Amino acid sequence: MNSTSSSRNKRGRTKFGGVSPHWIFIAPALIIVFAILIFPVLYSIYMSTYDWHLFYSSDKKFVAFKNFVELLKDKEFLHSLWLQFGFVVIALPIETVIGFFVALLLNRDGKFYTVVRSLILLPVFILPVISGLTWRLLLQPEYGMVSFFLEKMGFGVRAWLAEPDFAYGMVIVQDVWRMWPFMFMFIYAGLSGVPREILEAAQIDGASFWKRVFKIILPQLRPTIATALLLRLVDALRIFSEVYVMTGGGPGNATMLLSLYINKQAFEFFNIGYASAMGVVLLIIALGLSFFIVGGNIKFEGERG
Amino acid sequence: MKRVFTVIFLVSILGVILAAPYNTTIRVLAWDDALTQALKAGIPDFEKATGIKVVLELIPSGNLLQKIGVSVSSDKTDYDLVTVDEPFIPSLAHLMMPFDRWGNGKVFKKPPLNVFAPNAFEAAQWGGVFVGMPINANVYIWITRKDLINDPKNKSEFKLKYGYDLSVPKTFKELRDMAEFFTSKGIYGFAPFTKQTEGSTAEAIFMFEAFGTSPLTADGGKVVVSLDEKKAVEAINFYKELLKFAPPGALDMGHSERIAAFNQGKVFTMFQWPALVPQHEDPNNSLVAGKIIYSAPPVGPVKGSAIRGCWVLAMPNATKNKEAAAEFAYWWASLETGQKLIPKGFTPARADLLLNPTYNKDRPWFKAIFDSMRNAVARPRFVKYPEASQIIRNYWLAAISGKMSPEEAVRKMKDELNELVKK
Repeated sequence: MNSTSSSRNKRGRTKFGGVSPHWIFIAPALIIVFAILIFPVLYSIYMSTYDWHLFYSSDKKFVAFKNFVELLKDKEFLHSLWLQFGFVVIALPIETVIGFFVALLLNRDGKFYTVVRSLILLPVFILPVISGLTWRLLLQPEYGMVSFFLEKMGFGVRAWLAEPDFAYGMVIVQDVWRMWPFMFMFIYAGLSGVPREILEAAQIDGASFWKRVFKIILPQLRPTIATALLLRLVDALRIFSEVYVMTGGGPGNATMLLSLYINKQAFEFFNIGYASAMGVVLLIIALGLSFFIVGGNIKFEGERG
Repeated sequence: MKRVFTVIFLVSILGVILAAPYNTTIRVLAWDDALTQALKAGIPDFEKATGIKVVLELIPSGNLLQKIGVSVSSDKTDYDLVTVDEPFIPSLAHLMMPFDRWGNGKVFKKPPLNVFAPNAFEAAQWGGVFVGMPINANVYIWITRKDLINDPKNKSEFKLKYGYDLSVPKTFKELRDMAEFFTSKGIYGFAPFTKQTEGSTAEAIFMFEAFGTSPLTADGGKVVVSLDEKKAVEAINFYKELLKFAPPGALDMGHSERIAAFNQGKVFTMFQWPALVPQHEDPNNSLVAGKIIYSAPPVGPVKGSAIRGCWVLAMPNATKNKEAAAEFAYWWASLETGQKLIPKGFTPARADLLLNPTYNKDRPWFKAIFDSMRNAVARPRFVKYPEASQIIRNYWLAAISGKMSPEEAVRKMKDELNELVKK
């Protein structure tokens, strides 16, 4: 670099054409983030302020916040929001509890435990759509294995996914089956970092199992669990394909989670503006919950405790 | 010598180019099934005859509307021809060029609309204008087990119990009796369609129409809710009665479950869409191949009805290849193309092909398509049809599954349809 194209600022850092080098290094990442994250979000917000039907794009009208006001009056939307909330509140704690205790159980040395730990992770690697289809088949009234056992238990041959409460329950069961190993993976990794000496000392001092869990292990794992929950939360809020193939949101609207309702408005009813408003609401909810989970649970280096 | 050959070669290429009426590429978007796969096989002939290169994109029918939505607008289009399922014609009509403005065709002549099966061409009409050309005669047909009907023991037992001859059910009463009879003999009488998809809306409208009522009617361009509560409740109660003779899991049956049950020989009779018939007639996958009678659906207490679901070939206003696109459409609809592609799995919309005895020998469902088309009813012709369809099927399914009383379901269905119409 010659002296005409580079110069030094007061702190002695070299500038290229007046631009600080750190901007040059992060520019590709910034451009990509803008293109695939910031721009779509901004465009969604833009679309959410229009009364915009996909087939009548040339007639779209600016309506400011009308779509958001409509959302508050839309019973289907509120119902979907409620189902989504229920899904997160029921599925995530169950996955966390199972993942936590299985991690405790398998936090031992030995080949057997290594093999079991690896096998346990298998459901996480199954594509959501395959998982949904598999559960649909398992619950198929005539040939499904789960239906077979339910029949043997005296419930008779029934179209289980045509029962609203059962269908919603099974959507949660499917998610728990597929995703608890994800929580296990995180918690197990965190558990490996808990100093054994502390646990041994507590045991010698006569601390019971539950006391060790609540007073030592859980406080130590708080940042790990918070991170895992955050990732799962983001995933759970955008759950779509497995439910879509399993129930299609039915019967009626019994499993019409928010992302399915957004899809319905956008690509079945073609109300793009209205669907975008729902997407923006979902984004705000996700951000709000993320701040709630991250705040106080995860501390970054340099932050005061 | 080398130069002479080069000149001859170049002149021949130029000659071929000049001889071809067109020298362009068109993009066509269509649904994916046996018909369009057969069409694909004929495209090289079309390309040779016209010089038009065809890029035929086939996608699952359920995603087609979305694809059109993002690919076609008033001033831009990614496709020169698109296929549209008829309930969505009203939503897309303003983006498509009226059929009377399509060219006459240099190589393939523009067909008059009366060559298509009766009622089929109505599928392409909206607001008094034909916005495309019907390209298949898709309509409910009825399939019944021939071997069960012809069994002498079944015949005599049925006559003894019900006092009339066992045959293809011609009325809803016969359908109910025969369904009951065969269920008592271990064969399910009827296979419903109850999945949370468009098929359930079609089933609801089929029943409502047979009992003499329609959820929505267009009244001078204005859409009004016209569901007669009493008749609608009767229709629901009759369907609930039929469900008693349906296979286990009757409340969660879609195309795959119905096809599987019928092909395993477990079901006596049911409706079917023509596009799915080849699956019943494939001896490698069906125990009942060659044992099926095809007919129009049984007639309801008030009238005969058959849900129509024709695909319409439409040309976006924004296309730059109007002439070439029209050539392709006319080739698709021509008698010669039909004759050539029927053996490959093509189902025509033309009356002359559907009634041709040669084809009916191997494909007896062609005549059934033609017969069904006489009583064809369209799903509500309405710009907001997708929303209306959702409301109809939600309450229909709630009622037939017993989650809601038929009276309450019909009342709520009407209320929500009224709200939708007013929006």
